[in-house]
Amino acid sequence: MKFSYTHHMPYTHVEEAGQDWPVPNKQFDPEKGVALYREYIDNKVFAEEVGFDWIGCNEHHMSPYGLMPNPNLTAAAIIERTRTAGILQSGNIVPLTNPIRIAEEYAMLDVQSGGRLIAGFMRGIPHEYVAYNVSPDDSYPRMREACELIVKCWTEPEPFGWEGEHYRFRAVSIWPRPVQQPHPRLLMSGSSPDSVSLAAEFRATIGLLRITDFESAREMKDLYTDLARKDGWEPGPEHFMVGMPCSIADTVEEAMETLRSGTRFFLGVLGGGIRTAQRLVLQKTRYYREEAHRQRFPGLAARRETPLEELMEKGLVVCGTPDMAIAQIKRAKAELGHGLMNLNIKIGNTPQSAVLRTMQALRDHVFPAVREV
Amino acid sequence: MSFESNTARLPSGELTYRVAGDGPPVLYFHAAGGARATAGLELLARSRCIYMPVIPGFDDTPLLESVSTMRDIARLGAEFIDGVIGEPADVMGQSFGGWAAPWLALDRPDAVGLMVLECPAGFRPEGHPPPSSDPELRLKQMFAYPARRPPETRSEATLVRNREMLHRYHGAETRDAALIDRLGEIEALTLILLGTKDGRMPRESVQLLKDRLTRAFLVYVYDAAHSIETDQPERFANLVEDFLERGETFLVNQAGVPAISATA
Repeated sequence: MKFSYTHHMPYTHVEEAGQDWPVPNKQFDPEKGVALYREYIDNKVFAEEVGFDWIGCNEHHMSPYGLMPNPNLTAAAIIERTRTAGILQSGNIVPLTNPIRIAEEYAMLDVQSGGRLIAGFMRGIPHEYVAYNVSPDDSYPRMREACELIVKCWTEPEPFGWEGEHYRFRAVSIWPRPVQQPHPRLLMSGSSPDSVSLAAEFRATIGLLRITDFESAREMKDLYTDLARKDGWEPGPEHFMVGMPCSIADTVEEAMETLRSGTRFFLGVLGGGIRTAQRLVLQKTRYYREEAHRQRFPGLAARRETPLEELMEKGLVVCGTPDMAIAQIKRAKAELGHGLMNLNIKIGNTPQSAVLRTMQALRDHVFPAVREV
Repeated sequence: MSFESNTARLPSGELTYRVAGDGPPVLYFHAAGGARATAGLELLARSRCIYMPVIPGFDDTPLLESVSTMRDIARLGAEFIDGVIGEPADVMGQSFGGWAAPWLALDRPDAVGLMVLECPAGFRPEGHPPPSSDPELRLKQMFAYPARRPPETRSEATLVRNREMLHRYHGAETRDAALIDRLGEIEALTLILLGTKDGRMPRESVQLLKDRLTRAFLVYVYDAAHSIETDQPERFANLVEDFLERGETFLVNQAGVPAISATA
């Protein structure tokens, strides 16, 4: 099992962000922001020492939910202070950005890191479309075309043009080209049948990052496997990444209280504005083309209401003592057969001391016991 | 815009051709399917006068004894420019026709303005298998959107004979080594097109062209298979029209044509 360290880099010095969209930035104190960025980057760098295989960065806009509107800047800072860990961009929100720019910046990161980039192509969550004033209706076709164009930028030896539905370029030849050949490893969302289908087409690792139960995650994994086999190849464990929140302490009570408190802040304070924007998108657009996907939101909402004890019972969190964490990781592996696990430790306003405590427990106890799982 | 059928008397013999549109002349070498008025060509005929000779033997036309190689077809095209168009013309070729067009540009540079090669045949990389002859697979490789094909009015016998013409003109060859060796001599500014879903033509063949031609642009047409004109007629016509109108300055964006569609 390999592990990825994710950290949304939230702005935690707010007591009540409210439900407005966008969240007013008058609450952002730049001096406190300086300290937070230092702390968060230090944490990401420390993740390599802890034994994480990948260090993750992701893109979110106009909210204290995350301070990485451009995750490539964060990645560039981490690359200079690490040597071996993969740099997971999970990812750039492809339909919002010029795909040539994504191809260029990802190629830069791959070269700067000596070939450590895991290139995430994400469609983003609904509020990002409101933030950038992009029609969510076109997000799927825009995503598909942009992914093809980005890969073309990396793999085409001759200058080329692109005449498409959403993108038109007459002459492209990016510098630098990536180190990894034919192109960097890809990661995409596995949250819906449409997303899984696209990921399988590109042979990308799928991220099952917000699972509501093992059964639905297994359905997505099975769909991916079926599509791969129809295309004539066999996916391995490395094509599946499962995400879970993680809190470890000497006692289960302490670990649970840390996770519960951080989650309460995350949902109640950080998540308010983006849920407002999400509701508007769901009401007014075809962002979710499939009814099944649209119905995920009640499932996710239900997960928000689910008591932590029940989430632990279902095996959807890594929470408790080190021995419990080991058992939980092994259980998830037995259920889903994935080869990658994405752990989110900084949930909401989880104190830095608790973040470090969990990371140290992973380093000293958990990782040595689950590496060979 | 409908194509009219005419006949020309040329030094090599009598030649049927189709013509449509207004504007500067374009000589168009058709593909192995024969001389068809695709949606893309009809759009292009808004701004160009398109001359489409029916290559001898295709679409039930008689063979011409002196025209039996791809280079002969190019020579026939030069006779057509001299005898019918009467002035240098831009030249286009699709697939099979894209093999003849570079020979014309090579042998008669004085007769050729700009050149457009759509998924051209004749440049298949060594070791690449020839395109499939399985009808079902062939259809899939040819068209991303088969429903967009124009209605077929020709008989099955005519279509079979069209396919047999390939052997008359280039035998079993899929790679013209003599032409490849001389691509660097071609002076005509060239636009090379390939559909992103083209299952008939490997992209290495157009990359080779882009590498060897001294003045060329390669553009991938998104969501089009081998028959770009049929799968994406608007994209095809807008792109080719712009290239023929502006030449190499088509690289420079013009107001109203954004690189990223308006909702981005």
